[in-house]
Amino acid sequence: MTALDLLALGAIGLGAGFAAGLLGVGGGIVMVPALVLVLGFDQHVAQGTSLVVIIPAALAGSVTHYRNGRVSVRDAALLAAGGIGGALVGSISALSVDDTVLRRLFGAFLLVVAAQMVLGRGRRRSEASNPPIVEA
Amino acid sequence: MTAVPAPTFWRSPAALVAIGAGAGLLSGLLGVGGGLLMVPGLVLLVGLAQHRAHATSLAAIIPIAVVGALVFGRADSVDGLAAAVLAVGSLLGVQVGARAMGRLSGERLALVFGGFVIVVALAMLLL
Repeated sequence: MTALDLLALGAIGLGAGFAAGLLGVGGGIVMVPALVLVLGFDQHVAQGTSLVVIIPAALAGSVTHYRNGRVSVRDAALLAAGGIGGALVGSISALSVDDTVLRRLFGAFLLVVAAQMVLGRGRRRSEASNPPIVEA
Repeated sequence: MTAVPAPTFWRSPAALVAIGAGAGLLSGLLGVGGGLLMVPGLVLLVGLAQHRAHATSLAAIIPIAVVGALVFGRADSVDGLAAAVLAVGSLLGVQVGARAMGRLSGERLALVFGGFVIVVALAMLLL
C-alpha cells in the first residue's frame, strides 16, 4: 500500500465519520463505495473492512449515549439477539455471491437510500420544528 | 420525531428480535451498520423518541458488526491496515460532523448528499 493510498484512506475515513456525525447515516454507505471506486478494492473486502471500522465507531458513540442515559438496554439486547442471527446469514450469503453481483446489489441499495434521503426532506423539516434535545 | 404510543405488539421481545434480525441481515449482506433499518423501526413501530432510538440502535450495531467482521475476516475479506487508518479518520470526522450539525441546514445537506449518493450508486451499478 503506497503513501498516497494511506492518505486517501485517512480522507475517506474522515468523510465517512463526518457524514455519520452530521447526517446520522452510517459510515458504511460512504466507505464501501469509496474503497471500491477510488482505491479499487474488491466489493467483498470493502464490505468486510467497513464492518471492522464500524465496531470502534459504534462503541465510542454508545459509551457516550449510555452515560447520557439514552440507551434502552433491554431493547438493544433484543435487537442484538436477532441481529447476530441476521448478520450470520447476511454475511455468509454475501460471501457466496460473485463480486460484481454484490457490487450491483450494493448500488441498488444505495439508490434506495439516496432517494429516501432526497424525498424524505419534508418529514425532516417537521422534525426540525421540534426543539432539539440538549446534550448533557 | 415525536414518540407515538405504540401498540403492545411492537414492544414485545419477538418484534424487537425481528427488527434486529432484519438489520443484521442487511448489515452482513452489504457491510453497513443496520441503523438505516433499526432507527426508523424503533421510532415508527416501537415508539421510541428519535434520540433514544439512535442511541439504542448504535449499541445493537456493535455485536452485529462484530459477527459480520468475523465472518468476512475468516474468508480473508478484511484489510486490517486499511481498517485501522479508516477508523482513525472516522473517529476524527465524526467529532467534526457532530459539531457542524447545529450550524448547517440539514435539509439542504441531505439534498446535496443524496444527489451525490445517487451518482455514486449509478457508478456502482454500471461499473
